[in-house]
Amino acid sequence: MKLNRRSFLATSAAATAVMGTPMILRAQPSEYVLGASLPLTGPFATAGQLVAPAFQLAAKLFNDEGGVAGTPIRFVTEDSGYIPQNALANYQRALATEGTAMIAYFADSTGAMKLIAPELKGENARIMGSTSFASELADPSTHPYQYMSGPSYQSQFDILLENIAAQGGTSVAFIYSNTEFGRDPIEHGKATAERLGIEVVLEEATKPQGADIPTHVTKLAQSGAEHCILQGYVTGVWPQLIGGARQFGLPTRFYGTFWGMEKIIADRITQEAGPFLEGYEGVMPYRYFWDREDAPRYQKYAELSKEMFAGTPMENYMSTWAIQTMCGLEIAMKAIRDTAEAGQELTADNIAETLSGISDWDTGGFFGGPVTMENNSIKTGRVYAYDTETGLFNPRSDWLSV
Amino acid sequence: MGQFVQFAINGLMSGAIYALIAVGIVSVFKATKVVNFAHGYLIMFGAYFYYTFAVIIPGQEWAPAWLASWEPAWLMESREGLPMFSPMGAVLDWAQNLPRILFGIAGALVANAIVGRIIERTLMRPLMGQSVFAMIMITVGLISIMSGAASIIWTADADFVPHIAPNAPIRFEMFGTTIFLFGADLVNMLIALFIFAGIVLMVRYTKSGVAIRATAEDQSTAYSMGISVPKVFSRAWVLASTTGAIAGAILATRNGISPSLGLFGFSVLAIVLMGGLDSYIGVFLAALAVGVMEAMTQWQLGGDWAEIVPYVAVLVVLLIRPHGLFGSKEVERI
Repeated sequence: MKLNRRSFLATSAAATAVMGTPMILRAQPSEYVLGASLPLTGPFATAGQLVAPAFQLAAKLFNDEGGVAGTPIRFVTEDSGYIPQNALANYQRALATEGTAMIAYFADSTGAMKLIAPELKGENARIMGSTSFASELADPSTHPYQYMSGPSYQSQFDILLENIAAQGGTSVAFIYSNTEFGRDPIEHGKATAERLGIEVVLEEATKPQGADIPTHVTKLAQSGAEHCILQGYVTGVWPQLIGGARQFGLPTRFYGTFWGMEKIIADRITQEAGPFLEGYEGVMPYRYFWDREDAPRYQKYAELSKEMFAGTPMENYMSTWAIQTMCGLEIAMKAIRDTAEAGQELTADNIAETLSGISDWDTGGFFGGPVTMENNSIKTGRVYAYDTETGLFNPRSDWLSV
Repeated sequence: MGQFVQFAINGLMSGAIYALIAVGIVSVFKATKVVNFAHGYLIMFGAYFYYTFAVIIPGQEWAPAWLASWEPAWLMESREGLPMFSPMGAVLDWAQNLPRILFGIAGALVANAIVGRIIERTLMRPLMGQSVFAMIMITVGLISIMSGAASIIWTADADFVPHIAPNAPIRFEMFGTTIFLFGADLVNMLIALFIFAGIVLMVRYTKSGVAIRATAEDQSTAYSMGISVPKVFSRAWVLASTTGAIAGAILATRNGISPSLGLFGFSVLAIVLMGGLDSYIGVFLAALAVGVMEAMTQWQLGGDWAEIVPYVAVLVVLLIRPHGLFGSKEVERI
């Protein structure tokens, strides 16, 4: 064959096609990987260690259901110590190790989400859920690959304030930790309170740990607030504030957002310090784990937990923190599976597009009814109140959407 | 004026806790010239030991029932019908917990003293005569060891412990304002004051105290005068561990048990520098000053400033007096 320019180009094109074919075939890995950073040590290790078993349960559940279109999934979890830089390093390491097999990631803080967000570009982009409800993340125009598995803190404040307004409340205090987590919904909450005709009589920032309780309680007493929303705490400060206020004799009603609504913590406080959390209310995006009658997905978790976590606290109860993680993983899996079923390649762009289009989805009982992703978040929740006699958080409102 | 008094008292109560944390750092520095960066974690161990002896052990099936809850008939009868936060109700609740509180404090003191002794014998004493910098770096390494060990032994679970003192509300009138105090905080402050006074008197007037002062002045001369410097080192570490156990127990009653307790040591380091690393009195005054400044800033400017203003004051003091308010100026002769 005579080699001229035209035949050379044709031969080169054919050779490239032949050599490229295996590359395309290799794009289908033998298993998909979902990476995660968890605070197994550090200040939020309590939450991290309660959440960690959820990944084992999710791996078993999702693989029993056929993984992603028949391809099994595997979770790779690493400790971050609740340090965003560590979470970023974990993400980069997982990318380097797992490559295109890794199709989603789960981060453990607002800080980690913000730090990793600029990295989510081109081939390094993956869809990413987290433990955070930071309002800033609920914006697909700036965070197209990141989502949250419930309402943002701003939406949670809206739910609480609307509930307070519905009860005829006229004044509220915001007490929050001086962290990003604590400050997140404060400005928005002030605007919502004004719209609802509720006066914000105190905005009080505290240390996230070791706060000076007498001083904060004194200021709360001076403010004369009927209601007080606590934001930005997990295991400490919020119980001491409520206990201090009760000792002071304040009749103020206290409310919390998601991270202050865990039964395990409320039970331990009651056991050690008495029933002063009686009537403490707060917003929860999800059903509690004992409310399983209309939640087939929870029933499945309960069945698996009995088998997998026998003899541990997870055998009979799944913490709200683990439920949030399971919800985040369910959202990711729904988006991944729907993308695969549509015959699309599992790129971050395709999965993110499917995820933002989730509509009227029956989650199997996480929420009160079918949910729709709005700005990559689910803007629904319910107000619950703690009963020290039964140790249960009971519904105080219907499911509210904002 | 009444409000000023209220916030000043709140600040003094916080400051007393800072002082109790700081006393361990000063004790070790005074005797060994080592700044113990791991002191916060020694306190965390004290808190966990208090939790172990006051909550975990009394909760075991094999433990006697009276240890978990002392319930003589007279106490139960008196307690019945009293509201939870009534002064008498709080005192009786505390009385019910008294056996496990005492067991918790005794256990924490002994166990933390053993930990302090082990650290001193295995990590510090072999480095005697070496550079102080090496010993300081050991304390930095200790942070990782102690936080890791605590996670393994107690896990990262958050929990709560009984108050050391009755947490009865105290109210009185002053300048036309009702002043409100938490009973437990008041007693915590008194405990801190007693411990401080005890240590200062011990250092001034006892043989062991004179040995510590002599060793702080010059180790070689102290040796030549017949003072057992290793014993002084050992005593300093045991003193730091036992005061740390009390500080840890008090912190645990205020904040609950969690691995984040170890971080308190770092915030107190600034106070120690302000007071003077080798001055008990200076550190005590600095701790109270920072406590009051924090409370006043919180009152007037809000929480975002409360963590900044006192530490700006610390910086200003250090710029004017680099050795702290009452710290000894080191003169190096060449």
